[in-house]
This record gives sequence, C-alpha cells and structure tokens, in this order.
Amino acid sequence: MGVKKVLILNGSPRAPRSNSRRYAALFTQFCGLETESMDLLRADPKAVAERLEAVSDVLLIFPLYADAIPVPVLRAFKALEEAPPQNRPTLSVLVNCGFLEPEQSDVAVAMVELFCKRMGWPVGSVLEIGSGEAILDQPFRVFARWKIRTLARAVTAGRHRRLKVTMPISKKFFLKASTKYWTDYGARNGITAEQMATMEIEGSLPDDR
Amino acid sequence: MKIILSDRPLSLDLGNRTDVVCFDLSHMKITPCVGCFGCWTKTPGKCVIRDDAVRVYPRLAESDTALYVSRVRYGGYDVVMKTMLERAIPVQQAFIRLLDGETHHVQRAVVPKKATIVAYGARDREEEELFRRLVARNAKNMSFQSYEIRFTDEEQVEAAVRQEVETWA
Repeated sequence: MGVKKVLILNGSPRAPRSNSRRYAALFTQFCGLETESMDLLRADPKAVAERLEAVSDVLLIFPLYADAIPVPVLRAFKALEEAPPQNRPTLSVLVNCGFLEPEQSDVAVAMVELFCKRMGWPVGSVLEIGSGEAILDQPFRVFARWKIRTLARAVTAGRHRRLKVTMPISKKFFLKASTKYWTDYGARNGITAEQMATMEIEGSLPDDR
Repeated sequence: MKIILSDRPLSLDLGNRTDVVCFDLSHMKITPCVGCFGCWTKTPGKCVIRDDAVRVYPRLAESDTALYVSRVRYGGYDVVMKTMLERAIPVQQAFIRLLDGETHHVQRAVVPKKATIVAYGARDREEEELFRRLVARNAKNMSFQSYEIRFTDEEQVEAAVRQEVETWA
C-alpha cells in the first residue's frame, strides 16, 4: 500500500438521505487523506471487497439500530468474512445514536471490534455521537463538527483516539427539545403530537385483538 | 399471550395451546427497515412496509412471555432476527422518556415481558459476553421485565426450546 486513502462506508438503512451521509461529508472536509465513499445498503459485497483492496483506512459510519449495528452493516460483515479481501485496512468507526448518551453505542462499537479481530484488521479511531438525529440541525452542530474534525485528524495522522460528543444540555432539557423536534417532524406530515403519541399498534390495543 | 420468534424452523408440538403463537421468521417475507420514521410521524404505530412483519410486532407487543431463537453474529442477533427487531419500532413512539436515568423511546401498548433468548452459534466466551451486554441494552428498549439467555449449540436448539416451553404454565 503506497498512498494512504480512506474508504468511507455508509451503513445507514436510508443511506442516500441519511445523517450518516452528512457526517461522511464533514469527515471528508476535514480529512487530510484522499477519501471515497460507498453506501453499504445496496452494494455488491464483491465490489466492497474490491474497493477495500486499495485503501489503507476505512471509516464505517452508521446509526445505532435496536442497540446494535444495523442490518446493512451486519450483512456486509458476513459477506466480507466469507470472502475477505487480502488487504487489511485499519477500521475506524463513527456511530450516531438518537439518544442523548453516546455510550449507548458502546455495544455496537464492541461488535465492530469483534469483527475486526476476526478479520485481523487493526481498529482505528472511534467517535460516538449522542443526540445524533438532531445535532447537525441545532446550534450544537459546532460540537459535532469539532469532534469529527478531531476524528479526521486522528485518522489522517494514524494516531487513533476514542471520542464522544453529544449536546451539552441536561436530560430534562433534551426531553423537551426532542419532543419539539419530533412534534415539528410530525407536523410536516400533517400529524399532530397526540396522533403520534397513540398507544395503538397496527390500529388496535392488546385488549381489542 | 406467549410468543416464539425463531430464525429457523422448529418442530414443536404445541398441542391445543391457544395462548402460544410461533413465528418462523426464516419463512416469512420481512424486508429491512428503511429508516423512514413513517411509523412514528406519518402512520403512528403502523409500518409503511406492508409485509409479514406487520403480523409479528403487534403480537410481540401483547405478549407477556417471549422466546427468541437466534444465531449469534458478532455478539448480536444474526440477520433474520435483527431484521425483525428493527422492523418492530412501530411499538415505540418517537418521543423520548427517562428510564433508569437514560433517554429511551416511550413505548406504546407494550406488555412488560419475561424474555428468554435461545442463542446459538456463538464462537467463544467473548462473543457470549458481548451478547449478554446487548440483551441488557435490549431489556430497556424491548420492555423486558426479566430475561434469561440460554447459549447452546446449533444441534441443541430444539431441545432448549422444548425445555423452555415446557416451563410455560
């Protein structure tokens, strides 16, 4: 491997219009190495493996899903383990979690580390972002940008770090802010907060079934 | 109501039991979540993808006892079970609450449940330990009142499931 290069893998289930893509763009802006991006969602596993042959580093970006890595990442890991590339890039990871506490992503990061161990890939830097659904659209985006810049510099220099960032607010305030965020989200679809707060699942309550 | 979610076919004789429902997820059409937030902000409580998953999550929500049968991959559930768990988010609201000092989604009408996970195929202790950590996290988001994990070999899955179901009153 001559020139250092980073392959950014977007593991979001809504890759084309995901926050993960926005995080990838920020990383690219701050990274001192050549970067290229790929969405795992519909990627051919062979094409992913081929791209991995030509890079020194990988940045895997994904949202926390059911406390763990999302299905597109899981599928990619399985395919790569089945037909591994010869090259063993250093894998860094950026996880965005909608909850305030970035450490809710610790298990997902450990899953990535286990994958790396099995593949014989070095683990690079880790950035866990809390309140990741909304942070880029709030004044607090400056904190996320700052940490992504730190991450990009760590990957560029090969001096890896473990980083966390979230909105610097109390949990009580986060509850209020997130309620407003989601209420506004529903309103854009013509749905009220009361409708969003229905206890019904598939239109009924357990006693009705 | 008691529910069995399995990522593989089970030869299980439930006799005349009407309080148990069993889903073999491996033979159902369940496509991955697309992260559209429709079940929170467009059709609250209903997934916009109208495949077999919409038959599963309401039954899961109303069950007080749940048995999950899944292969373990990288310390988590393998694709079949994980796909279903991701599609079960209509049982939660978008809104956030505090639970044990952490932020989590508000649950809709989800019955607190006793969960058992028959987890097979873990390659070593490290993977089992990671799976334990995952299930401890799931307990908060999947309304587990209590849970037990039974690690087993692939060959022993049927026996472990039968053993568990026999304990159900």
